[in-house]
Amino acid sequence: MSAIGRREFLAGLGGVAGSAAVIALGAPEVGAQAPAQQNFGPMDQSVFRPTIRPAKPGAAPSMTVLERDALEKRLKCQCGCILDVYTCRTTDFTCQISPAMHRDVLRLVEGGYTGDEILEAFVETYGEVALTSPKKEGFNWAGYFAPAVVMGTGAVVLTVMIRKWSMESRMAAVAAGAAAKSDSTIDATAAASADELARLERAMRDDH
Amino acid sequence: MILVGELALWIALLMCAWSATVSFAGAKLQRGDLVVSGERGLYAAFGFIVVASLGLWTALITSDFSLRYVWSFTSANLPSVYKFAAFWGGQAGSMLFWCLILALYAALATWASRGKNRELMPWVTGTNALILLFFVATTAFASNPFERLEWVPADGRGLNPQLQNPAMAIHPPMLYLGYVATSIPFAFAIAALVTRRLDAEWLGAVRRWALVSWVFLTLGIVLGMWWAYVELGWGGYWMWDPVENASLLPWLTGTAFLHSIMIQEKRGMLRKWNVTLVITTFLLSILGTFITRSGVIQSVHSFAQSNVGHWFAAFLILSMVASAWLVGIRLKDLEAKAELEAMISREAAFLYNNLVLVGIAFSVLWGTLFPIISEAVRGSKITVGESFFNSVNVPLGLVLLALTGIGPLIAWRKASVANIKRQFAGPAAFGLFVGAVLFALGIRELSPLVAWALCGFVTGTIIQEFWKGVGARRRMYGENPVMALMRLVARNRRRYGGYIVHAGIVILFAAFAGNAFKAEHDVTLRDGETFTTKDPYGREWTFTSQGISQFKALNREVQAVTLLPTREGKPLRLLSSEKRQHFDTQGNPQFQQSTEVDIISMFRQDVYLVFAGAVGDRAEVRINFNPLVVWVWLGGILMAIGGLIVMWPQAERRRQGGYVTELAPQHGVLLETK
Repeated sequence: MSAIGRREFLAGLGGVAGSAAVIALGAPEVGAQAPAQQNFGPMDQSVFRPTIRPAKPGAAPSMTVLERDALEKRLKCQCGCILDVYTCRTTDFTCQISPAMHRDVLRLVEGGYTGDEILEAFVETYGEVALTSPKKEGFNWAGYFAPAVVMGTGAVVLTVMIRKWSMESRMAAVAAGAAAKSDSTIDATAAASADELARLERAMRDDH
Repeated sequence: MILVGELALWIALLMCAWSATVSFAGAKLQRGDLVVSGERGLYAAFGFIVVASLGLWTALITSDFSLRYVWSFTSANLPSVYKFAAFWGGQAGSMLFWCLILALYAALATWASRGKNRELMPWVTGTNALILLFFVATTAFASNPFERLEWVPADGRGLNPQLQNPAMAIHPPMLYLGYVATSIPFAFAIAALVTRRLDAEWLGAVRRWALVSWVFLTLGIVLGMWWAYVELGWGGYWMWDPVENASLLPWLTGTAFLHSIMIQEKRGMLRKWNVTLVITTFLLSILGTFITRSGVIQSVHSFAQSNVGHWFAAFLILSMVASAWLVGIRLKDLEAKAELEAMISREAAFLYNNLVLVGIAFSVLWGTLFPIISEAVRGSKITVGESFFNSVNVPLGLVLLALTGIGPLIAWRKASVANIKRQFAGPAAFGLFVGAVLFALGIRELSPLVAWALCGFVTGTIIQEFWKGVGARRRMYGENPVMALMRLVARNRRRYGGYIVHAGIVILFAAFAGNAFKAEHDVTLRDGETFTTKDPYGREWTFTSQGISQFKALNREVQAVTLLPTREGKPLRLLSSEKRQHFDTQGNPQFQQSTEVDIISMFRQDVYLVFAGAVGDRAEVRINFNPLVVWVWLGGILMAIGGLIVMWPQAERRRQGGYVTELAPQHGVLLETK
């Protein structure tokens, strides 16, 4: 069975209620079993679209082989394998998309295009899905910043809460000590250790 | 047997419905007979699911291709071990396997609590039965492994070659054992919320189940990494695939829970937080299953996709709403007096540890779901890959690693300056020493340098804790160091087992950091040609092609390239990577070609050979030097061992760190006896 699209999925979600009703009424229908396993790796070899630009005047290769390989790691193979172009083409010879994308990269490198220009050319061909990570612009910033914002907010809230709890704890200790002193003939501090007395003194001083 | 198995599945469905109904009714009406009936119903459901499972196993082993599942995932010439493992190799079988584990756990949880937790148990049994009902119903109605074909084919379609790997025989069961175990703490949490018994009683009951889940998830994740490394052929073990992420999420929140539970036990705090973590961990395990099976997010685990995603989404939403509602109406009961004496205390360190763990879980979830969110908001598809996850999670991971060392060094309640100086001096010095040595050796990459320095610090912490413990035992009892160490761990398994887990974490992080120095070489070699290069340690390697060979094996045709590697002129064993084309018994090709890599594993690094393919007489290969990879597996194993030590039952009299604490009434003093 092929991968279910998100739209199909959401449409089908509504159908679950219906299915549940059918089940409840005692007329079950065996759901469609996945007819086949899917293989890992290339799934759709027809998605390749050429990314071609005319060579720049007097063009010379814009990067070394290592830099080119690093650039290909920022480009996602479009066959559906979730690997980058470099890894896919050096791992799986049954994929025809990553070698084709590699040839496009080679032509663009030899045509004098910089890394950013090459990435942009692929985005124009395939859309932003050509990149292994979203561009740092517009709504994508939400993707990059949300974890930091959540963590930062969490850290501030937690710090404030811990301070509040520790303050309340100290005040309660001071109050308990004072109550014991006034209500009892026993000197509460007489049984306290030096460390406890020092902490009590500090807590009272801090409260002022 | 197959027919009996199918029938048993339907009877199990009825048993689950019965068990859930009478357990809840028994609890509500205070009817002991109904409660007992509910428990027996659950035991019966377990029995019938065992029979159903035996039915499917029989069909798989005997190659009964009249069943669509057997035809879809096996072939007559498939090795028996993979016929057995095909039980969880496909959607429908893995659903039944999930039912089997859940029924086993639910029955065990009920049996283990037969003399205790009596107020909670009817609700626990009912909740477990309800969850089991969902899984059995989904299996029976939407993904039935006993569905028959209209004809009986001569042979099956075979098991995906990449699933024909020993790791795949054990990785999914381990993950399922981990995922499913989150149901039991969830059931106890629901029971505690319903009955308002939100003290430490329910926590005591779930702690071991949370550990069971954690240990199996750890093993499952590490085995999955191993499988990806040896089978997928891309040279790494973690690619932030959505399904990998899905397994990590409940592990992270489960780890947070195992730390925060200590604060509730010691100080009575964090009731709301702990209930939330237990529920979240369960919901994340369902979310993970949904991601794996729905196909809404692109993943390497696409083999398991089917229409059950809708069922899981509905169950997830219902569980989320019901849990949130229950927590909402019990907020007052969950109030607890917060007593935390200082910012610098172990309690505070554990809270920050929880923040980081949950923060990482959020960032992983966010990155996994962001393509869907982006498509919904902007209408265009994007990919969130390795660089995104690394940029967010590497810094958080380093903070977590630091906290792994800091937490155990700080005293409970309040740490004095003198205490901090005394505790931190040794480990901090060791961490700085490690960092300085590595810097002097020429390492300038910031992340690995910081990671290894922090590994040094945490190692120092662990050594210091063991050193002090062993020293104390030697002084008090005159034991030799080995005996003192063994008894130290045995008498305080929770504490020192935890340190062993931390040691595993250190090894894992040190190995992850080694990934920064990975070297890849894309090479074309004719027979007899040699490729020379240097590894990340600066040593010279040569790889001489021994040529391309072709041969037939059990159920496949193989094309292989063989290289003779030498290190500094010294030959090592031959490296041979294969391209495999599988065939059925009729000689029809099955699946696309698959790649089998070859790896020479050493403590310093792995040499990893991938045969990309042949062009004429030339072999296109990729040769990787992957530093420290073997330590990933060792670290994972150590973590699981530590988890087992923590989990291992301890005699009641030894729970006070080797002493029984008792009150001598005539004197009004505490006595400690060995």
